[in-house]
This record gives sequence, C-alpha cells and structure tokens, in this order.
Amino acid sequence: MNTELALIPFIDFLFVTVAFLLITAVWVSFSRINANAQIPGPPDPQKEITPQTPEKVLHLHILETDFSLVWKQGSTVVSETKVAKPEPSGEIIKYADLAKKLGEEWKLHGGHQDASDKKLDQAVIHADNGLPFRDIIAVLDALYDTKRELSGAGGKMQLIPVFNMSFSVR
Amino acid sequence: MSVGASRQHKHHDKHAHTIKMPGQVLMHKVPLHFVWRKVTGHGGKAVNAELALIPFIDFLLVTVVFLLMSFSASGEIGVDKNIKLPSAENAESVIEAPMVAVNGNQVLVDGHLAGSTRAIEDLGRMQKVDELFDLLKRKRELWKSFHPNKPFPGVCILQVDEAVPALVVKSVFQTAAYAGYPNISFMVRKRARPAD
Repeated sequence: MNTELALIPFIDFLFVTVAFLLITAVWVSFSRINANAQIPGPPDPQKEITPQTPEKVLHLHILETDFSLVWKQGSTVVSETKVAKPEPSGEIIKYADLAKKLGEEWKLHGGHQDASDKKLDQAVIHADNGLPFRDIIAVLDALYDTKRELSGAGGKMQLIPVFNMSFSVR
Repeated sequence: MSVGASRQHKHHDKHAHTIKMPGQVLMHKVPLHFVWRKVTGHGGKAVNAELALIPFIDFLLVTVVFLLMSFSASGEIGVDKNIKLPSAENAESVIEAPMVAVNGNQVLVDGHLAGSTRAIEDLGRMQKVDELFDLLKRKRELWKSFHPNKPFPGVCILQVDEAVPALVVKSVFQTAAYAGYPNISFMVRKRARPAD
C-alpha cells in the first residue's frame, strides 16, 4: 500500500519551480492617480436643455509659499482658505496639513456626500508652468487622501476619493 | 601504529625508499594529531554530514508558495528606464490602456516616438503635440473598429518624469483629452501608508 516518494526528482522539480518564479517575479509595482479633462460631450438634440444651478467647485491654487483653497459656485466665491506650504524635507514630498484641510473643507462644502451618489466633487488645480511634476503629484495625493463610502452593486460599500481632479487651462 | 613510530621504522629499514607499508597516507605529514585522527576515522564526528531532507523540502515548499502568491500573470508594465516616476500613497492599480511616456523632450506612445516637447518649452505656453494627437486618434479609431457596439472608455495613462515642468504635463494632458481620451491617469510608484 505504501509507496516511496522519489525525493531527488521532487527536489529538482521544486528547484525548477523556484527558479522560474524568481525569474518571472515582478518586484516593482506601479499604480495610478486619476484625473479628468472635463471635456463635455456633443449635445444631444433629443434632450431639452434646462438651465441648471452650477455646482460648487474647489479651485486649488499652488502658490510659492502656500496653497489657496477657493470654493466657487459659477463665478461667485463661496469661501477661501489658505494652508501654509511646508519646507521640503528629504526626497519624499508630503502635504499632510493640506490633506487634512481638504477633508475639512469637503465636509463643509462638498455637494456629493451621500453614499448613493456616484458623482464626485470637482477640484481644479491651478499650477505655475514651471512647477515640477512631483509637486503636482504630491498635491493630488493630498487631494485623494479624503475618502467616502459608495454603495455598489448588492449594497456592497466601497471607499472612493471624494474629489475628481482637472487642470486649469488658460 | 603511531605517526612517530612509523617514522622511526622508516629510517632503519634499508628498503624504505622502495617498499612502503600500505595504509592510509592522506595528510599523514601534517604534524597535528587531531587532524590525523579525523582523517583515519578515529575522531569524534564523521567528516561527511548528511543533509536533512525534510526541513530542506519544507523550506523549498514555503519558498514556492510565497513566490506563487506574489506571482503576477499579467507581467511587468513597461516603464521607460529614463523616467523617474513620483511616488504617492493614494493610488489605484494600473489598468490596460495606452501608455504615453514623457521622457525629457520626447513623447512616446506604447514605446513609439510621438513627438517632442521642446517646442512647448521654447515657446513657454501650452501647445498641442500634433504627432501625439494623430497617434492617439488613430488608436481610438482602431479600438472603435474592433469594438463597434461598445462605448469608448477614453482612458490613457501618462508616465511622466518627476522633474518635468507643469507646462509640458498640461500640454500632453490636453492633447490626450482632445484626441478623445478625457480620463487620464498619472502613473506613480506606490508608497506605503505610514501606520497610524
């Protein structure tokens, strides 16, 4: 009834498997940060155009020494707050104070806070042309730090960022 | 017979240079008794040690399981070696989409050259990158011809070096949007969140 396991071929097989997996292993993982160009689609001739109240939009100005958070409804300024820019320390840029303030601002002014609301609040980034890309990503990272629940299919909750970002273009 | 005794015998024997006593001769010239005892097998422990197979197989199995769990069938995403990506904590996993790489002055789409950003930097204002626009537009039309009944997702991923100025990023971003890709993602290196 008992049969012996041929150990040498078994160890050989394990060695080959380990070697194959080591060669094909991916050690560096990449991720992505979303943005949206906010380009409207062509108008639907079947639909009647009804004037809508403009939504509140957060304008985030990246300035030399601070960040300016301006909530606008159309051309009307609803609120304006400033957050001091921290001194760069090391290679990693992280704006923790900005992330915290953005969360507080969204709780005060955000228009899409309900878990059933699939739409996100819009944030427009105003950056100087010479600003390095790493600084923009650090601001985006702070922008996407605040998350809310969204009820998906079957009532399953998932965490999503509260803002969707676009660039200001002149 | 001890080492010393055999040496003494060798000196008195007139045939010593021709006839030699059979026996173990390996390392007998080393004047250390514990070495000689080890070599002749009279030492405490054997020179040959056995490999414990069961723990060894256990170790190999654990290694195989770990590597299988971290195995990715989709393979590595091609990132230009000259691009140093910025890092971020709040990032999502990468999806299948056209890759637009901005490396120094070159713009590449899925590894193929699609224009230069030198003109944008020289002019100092936002500009459409024509080659990039044409290439992305062709890709969009190709996708639509293969999937006639599906809505176009309009997603593309930008691989931008962390030192590239915002002017170039905005120009490439707008060019991609005008070519029919309004949902643009920026590729980043995922940074672990610090423990609270």
